[in-house]
Amino acid sequence: MPLEPFKHSAALTMGVELELQLIDPTDFNLSASATDMLHLLERSGFQGDVKPEVTESMIELATTVHTRYDALLAELKNIRDGLVAAGDRLNVSLCGGGTHPFQHWSEQRIFAKPRFKEVAALYGYLAKQFTVFGQHIHIGCTSADQGLFLLHGLNRYLPHFIALSGSSPFSQGVDTLFDSSRLNSVFAFPLSGRAPFMLDWADFERDYFAKMEATGIVKSMKDFYWDIRPKPEYGTIELRVCDTPLTVTRAAALAGYLQALCHMLLERRDPPPTEDDYLVYNYNRFQACRFGLDGILVHPATHENIPLREDILATLRRLEPHAEALDSRAALDILWREMVFDGNHASFLRHQYASAGGLQGMVAAAVSLFREDAAT
Amino acid sequence: MPDTLLRLLHDISWPAALALAWLAGEAGQRWLRLPRVSGYGIAGFLMAASQGGFLADPEGAPVTLLADFAFALILFELGYRINLRWLRANPWLGATSILEAFGTFGAVLAVALAFDVPPVPALLLAALTMSTSPAAVLRVANDLRSAGQVTERIMHLSAFNCVLSVATFKAVLGYSILTNSGSVFHAIWSSLVVVLASAGIGTLFGVAVPGLLRGIGGLARNATIAFALAALLLTTLTHALKFSPLLAALAFGLVARHRRVILSQAQRNFGALGDLLTVLLFVFVAATIDGRQALAGATLGLSIVGVRLAVKTAVTTLLSRASGISWRKGALTGVAMMPLSVFAILLMEQTRRSDFGAFEEMAGIAAVVLLLEVAGPLFTQWALARAGESVGKEER
Repeated sequence: MPLEPFKHSAALTMGVELELQLIDPTDFNLSASATDMLHLLERSGFQGDVKPEVTESMIELATTVHTRYDALLAELKNIRDGLVAAGDRLNVSLCGGGTHPFQHWSEQRIFAKPRFKEVAALYGYLAKQFTVFGQHIHIGCTSADQGLFLLHGLNRYLPHFIALSGSSPFSQGVDTLFDSSRLNSVFAFPLSGRAPFMLDWADFERDYFAKMEATGIVKSMKDFYWDIRPKPEYGTIELRVCDTPLTVTRAAALAGYLQALCHMLLERRDPPPTEDDYLVYNYNRFQACRFGLDGILVHPATHENIPLREDILATLRRLEPHAEALDSRAALDILWREMVFDGNHASFLRHQYASAGGLQGMVAAAVSLFREDAAT
Repeated sequence: MPDTLLRLLHDISWPAALALAWLAGEAGQRWLRLPRVSGYGIAGFLMAASQGGFLADPEGAPVTLLADFAFALILFELGYRINLRWLRANPWLGATSILEAFGTFGAVLAVALAFDVPPVPALLLAALTMSTSPAAVLRVANDLRSAGQVTERIMHLSAFNCVLSVATFKAVLGYSILTNSGSVFHAIWSSLVVVLASAGIGTLFGVAVPGLLRGIGGLARNATIAFALAALLLTTLTHALKFSPLLAALAFGLVARHRRVILSQAQRNFGALGDLLTVLLFVFVAATIDGRQALAGATLGLSIVGVRLAVKTAVTTLLSRASGISWRKGALTGVAMMPLSVFAILLMEQTRRSDFGAFEEMAGIAAVVLLLEVAGPLFTQWALARAGESVGKEER
């Protein structure tokens, strides 16, 4: 089956998908409640788009298409409220965070849907280990080539998103010392990582996708688990490296940041992306996963070492006029506060672990934060 | 020599029975897909003296206290899983609970009276059958690693209907004492005071033990043993004071949960200690049943079991959509609430010890208990599997 044509979107529209944890309010472990939650939402005329995910303890919400950050945030809050209310009726709590800190992957159940069963049959335990929770941000592109340009242009900024969204410090009951341990689970998949360096859609389709399809390994773009991948059926590129933040406010802010970045990239004042940018890609990615905002970047062009925190602050300053143009200053302010005062959600969770008495106390705090979302 | 041998056999009868029952539970699980607790029950029943077995009637023996302790642990764990805030968020759950419990009471009372059971035993029988035995429900759900709305609801509904059942049972006792002896004080003491004092002692434990644990620290390591010891102390204390260990243990779990010291996943069932005591509990309960008595009350027993199932299932089904689940899951919740035996037997045992003799006339209870000892957990297992909430073999 050839690759479907790339649908044209309005430039810089955005949409967000969030994978959320379903939590048992008794022991704060994951709760296999997706089927019951989805049933209730469907019956109660819930307006948001909510879908099952690979295991029964996860659900995924998706927003509609937005041009404005404030409207995106309002919709996310609205969906969040609906989900929390449904959860209350079923004695199920919800929270963000890229991993559940102490669930055991072997106890997870695959959601009864043919595609997930196939994934489980193919990947074995990796499918259950994939009980991790990410935020995906879509940015609309006017053409397929523009999509590929943005996809590769963003490679240098990718660690920003990993560090700002890092919220998975604990896994299988221990502190991994990573701010985002979730991405290590994603890396286990054979088709994860980066997209091949091609800036022309026709080339990509002919010289890469068709050949990959001929090998029998892939059938559609869905089979690639790349950090950023084109989504021809939506006419977007999809950034997939973010952990789900603990609040929808921060999730919307990250989307606003990406929208402003793309606005800047489309002015084409940065040097164009090259294959050599990817020499430092995996190393920078690791630094952001491991150390979060305290990581060190190697600049792809100059090869100098830059503290990630400084690089993000400098980028935030550069983005100010773009945020003005998009009316999304508030999004950048939230990230600014995170950089300067609050730290990312991985530090919040570690702090809760130390102060609230262990793993369960930490999950309890994450549940409250998701529900109340005091703009962090 | 034969005397020595007999004494030896007598001395090891309980441990031997437990070993055999455990084997029966494992074998039944492996070859017949029976819930383990049903296997323990069948073995206990067959080994009991009343069926010609070697296990003497346990009434009054030290093993009774152990059985009470085993049940206290289960009730504590159940109480710990109960989230009272859910009642506020979903009032239909409370409505379901009240309707299914009192609906069962009314229907069983009508059946018992139709079978010419005298009023007081009929009322006691109706009060007993309101409850769903948490022992079977919790063990079956934990064994199947079951999770979802049916699981969550049978836990909550059985906790609530146990409380309602004890309260109604004690109220009937009070009423009966009043009509027999005319002593208002004795009547109130046997009902209202027992209920309130038991819940009060449990509440005290629920506040004190988590507080103590916080002081000591090392929660994950210490919580299981501290709660188990406290449950043992609570059982013996309420025994000595002739209060209700059942209510006390439930209140203890409920308050401890809301004081938030968290039992971690590894301590479900209280680990191996809980597993061992569960074997003892189910053997103990089955050993109290006299097969001949059960046979004599079989028609009444069957009628009660049928009516009880019908009422519980009707209520949970009718209110299912209002409370946020499908008709199907509502019906399965009712079916999963079949088990009764352990709770009924222990409640009777404990009341018997408080020198009250209305039980001899409660024909039918033996049949109900025997039927549900084996069939109750089977129904629960079936319902959880049908609801898609138990872990399938391919996922284990």
